[in-house]
Amino acid sequence: MKDQMQDEVLLDVQDLTVRFNVGGGGLFGEAKYLYAVDNISFQIKRGETLAIVGESGSGKTTAALAVARLVEAYKGRVDLAGTDFLTLNDEELRQARAKMQFIFQDPYSSLNPRVRAEKIVREPLDNLDAVPESERQAIVDKLFEAVGLHPEQQRLFPHQFSGGQRQRIGIARALATQPDLIICDEPVSALDVAVQAQILNLLRKLQADFGLTFLFISHDLGVVQHMCDSIAVMYMGKVVEYADRLSLFNNPLHPYTVALLSAVPSVDKERRAATKRILIPGDPPDPLALPKGCRFANRCPVAQDRCKTEQPELNEVAPGHKVACHLVDERAVSPL
Amino acid sequence: MTAPLLKVENLRIELTTRDGVAPVIDDLSFELGAGESISFVGESGCGKSMTALGIMGLLPEKIGRIAAGSILFEGEELSTASEKRMREIRGNDISMIFQEPMTSLNPVYTVGEQIAEVLRAHQNLSKSAAWSKATELLDAVRIPNAQRRVNDYPFQMSGGQRQRVMIAIALACEPKILIADEPTTALDVTVQAQIFDLLNDLKRQTGTAIIMITHDMGAVAEMAQRMIVMYAGRNAEQGPVENIIEHPRHPYSRGLISCVPHIMATLTEERHPLTEVAGIVPSLREFGKDQCLFASRCTMVSQKCLDKRPPEVAFADGQKSACWHAEAV
Amino acid sequence: MSDLNIVPTEPAPVARHPAAEAWEMFRRNHAAMVALVVLSLIILVAIFGPYIYPTDPFDMVWAPFSPPGVDGFILGTDYLGRDLMAAIIHGARVSILIGLAAALMSVFIGVTVGALAGFYRGWVEEVLMRITEFFQVLPTLLFAMVIVALFGASLPMITLAIGIVSWTAVARITRSEFLRIRELEYVTASRASGAKNAKLMFRIILPNALPPIIVQAALMVGSAILFEAGLSFLGLTDPNVVSWGQVIGSNRQYILDASYTVTIPGMAIFVTVLAISLVGDGLNDALNPKLRQR
Repeated sequence: MKDQMQDEVLLDVQDLTVRFNVGGGGLFGEAKYLYAVDNISFQIKRGETLAIVGESGSGKTTAALAVARLVEAYKGRVDLAGTDFLTLNDEELRQARAKMQFIFQDPYSSLNPRVRAEKIVREPLDNLDAVPESERQAIVDKLFEAVGLHPEQQRLFPHQFSGGQRQRIGIARALATQPDLIICDEPVSALDVAVQAQILNLLRKLQADFGLTFLFISHDLGVVQHMCDSIAVMYMGKVVEYADRLSLFNNPLHPYTVALLSAVPSVDKERRAATKRILIPGDPPDPLALPKGCRFANRCPVAQDRCKTEQPELNEVAPGHKVACHLVDERAVSPL
Repeated sequence: MTAPLLKVENLRIELTTRDGVAPVIDDLSFELGAGESISFVGESGCGKSMTALGIMGLLPEKIGRIAAGSILFEGEELSTASEKRMREIRGNDISMIFQEPMTSLNPVYTVGEQIAEVLRAHQNLSKSAAWSKATELLDAVRIPNAQRRVNDYPFQMSGGQRQRVMIAIALACEPKILIADEPTTALDVTVQAQIFDLLNDLKRQTGTAIIMITHDMGAVAEMAQRMIVMYAGRNAEQGPVENIIEHPRHPYSRGLISCVPHIMATLTEERHPLTEVAGIVPSLREFGKDQCLFASRCTMVSQKCLDKRPPEVAFADGQKSACWHAEAV
Repeated sequence: MSDLNIVPTEPAPVARHPAAEAWEMFRRNHAAMVALVVLSLIILVAIFGPYIYPTDPFDMVWAPFSPPGVDGFILGTDYLGRDLMAAIIHGARVSILIGLAAALMSVFIGVTVGALAGFYRGWVEEVLMRITEFFQVLPTLLFAMVIVALFGASLPMITLAIGIVSWTAVARITRSEFLRIRELEYVTASRASGAKNAKLMFRIILPNALPPIIVQAALMVGSAILFEAGLSFLGLTDPNVVSWGQVIGSNRQYILDASYTVTIPGMAIFVTVLAISLVGDGLNDALNPKLRQR
């Protein structure tokens, strides 16, 4: 099943930019904008998983929300199987949402506390009215089974479930309309480690069974490494490195990516011996007063004068491996 | 080895809940040597934080109490010490940092005032001496421009900086033990690396022993020499970190290690499903039963596990495991 | 490796409606329970009292100023010799009816304004909140008096006047609840699964915003009763209908000679309003999910 769909680009995001008005504007002076996501582009092939990783303030969650048009983008294109999401009118968008669903981070606040589990899972079907009412219960039954919940749990309210079970309900809800793309925004970061494994395994199993495509947002590089086929690393609203899984983890090029990877504590003795920890000093720049040059320059251990004045482009330095750093060339060697 | 700095023996802490009294810590024993660092690992609800609060004498009033056992700090019994004595010890000899650096600082005082306050309370320093020491401490926890930042309010600092301030406060009186309860869980991984680096350096310089509470096996591997895996208020396994990671002798420790997708030295194409530890930590009502509390989630469970609580089995390499099947794991 | 994530050793929880939990919580609040019983009695009296005690409160049945308990009149008679017991029982109807109707009206206006402002934000919020502020700074009693004076002192007009001057608190609470809840992930989740705005507003957000609104509405009934009493006291009421406030108003000149003619209806108002407040308080605790957990 996977072969025939291979290489079909399902989601194509071009120059996506999201900015927030943070004061001013109107009658009184010039408006001030915070560019949370600044001109990012990426593609996901059908059946694959792309991860956007980054730390807090990198804009990864905003990017995901903008792709789903849960936050309005300032400019760009979000093309899902031939439909540009950003140009749809309200009613078209509402209908198109069937094709793109969302799994949220917090299993406690993402389920309406006043609604029974079965109705939560059924809600997308009720909203979109594409399936006759008589068939919806059967779909809900199947979804409960698919995510590993008991049929008798359908009548319960969210607070009667554990965190992992709640996340399963959220996953069932996202599957209800048979979407092409599921955006997972930190789906396990609020869960206990042992429960994380249950949910990650479930997601991978569902992906294999239903040929799902994931856009996976996470700060946890271990999880990303396990779940994804390719990875985009974001820093301060920009994609700084974009590569397939093996290239990124085995040959990280951007100094930020290298530092990020080296910061992850590991149980692997070999890795700890092999990796020199690179501490990046200081804090990210003020997002309202971004530097003219590379946004990482003020913390980068190898920054040069050019980095402080000239913004690097995201260039392809090896097949499928893009980096936005002045110091990385076709030899694809990290400056660090 | 001479007498340990901290010796906890058969500690039992009971919590009164709506459903009755539950032993949130049940027969826990461990030792901490001077300058040593140990880690408590486990899922939430396993009693890691409760152990720390018990040592600090900060159990929730009227709800929690030390029911049995002893906590010896430099030979002094803490479990029965007066509140006045505990106040002297807290901050002076044993101090603690918490998970949430956003809420553990008082927003209406500058960070300098908050550090100086601790110094004056415990060490009777004059106002100006306390202030200059506060600046030194901020510098020691690597806050750039300490001279100026000492006048900042907490909201003017980032999460990582606030956690550094907490560390500065905790270390102000050069304690013998620093308890760090999930100190980096709320922080980004690059900031976590800075904090770990700082803690390790400070430990080397001051000889403070560190007890770190965490759920992250990777962090344990980086930070601790010995670890104690806690499950449902009990000690599941303890021993040297390297040995347990290499060869866990309790199914729970094994599960905790292998359920996380770790980044290995070299990544390969193949990916296996993660090992699952099915189910969740039992509710407090189950605590204290005479059986293995992990049995309901264990793949190696046998009748014996359900009939009797497993004793701790000591191994030659320093590991101790509370499992009937420890030899087989 | 099992796919089924069953909570170990925990008995399967029973599917209980949040309302059932709230009731359990409410029952534990003794003051609120007593108040609820008192309030139920008052409402029963308001509904059935006139049939059981049919004396017309406007009939002059005895000598004026007959003190309570004397001559067979439990609560005595007023300055015209009218039976006070009849006035209290018949007046309960009007007082409570006006209280309920006015509260309902202010909730209706307030929720609509607050919901629109909190959901749509932007200029809608600006305009609606400026209007709310306008009504908030009006001297309420004066404004109500003007309405009643202009359009006549009929019961619907009095209700309208009270409703119009008291919805602002509901609007503010509704708006702030909407602002909070609209950011929660389950609202975003509904939006992501194609819910229309009307559904988001009234089926997803509003039910979760209700607890503080209900509490406010309960308190509003009490204050509407007081408000009506105030208007009646000033004579701005339908002279053909008896209410507690009107009894106080008509007897106010004799407060020094026959204080019971004023204190008895005053007590009726006091007890009713207090009972409503206590019930409101109990509701507040019962509907607050944070308190419910203990």
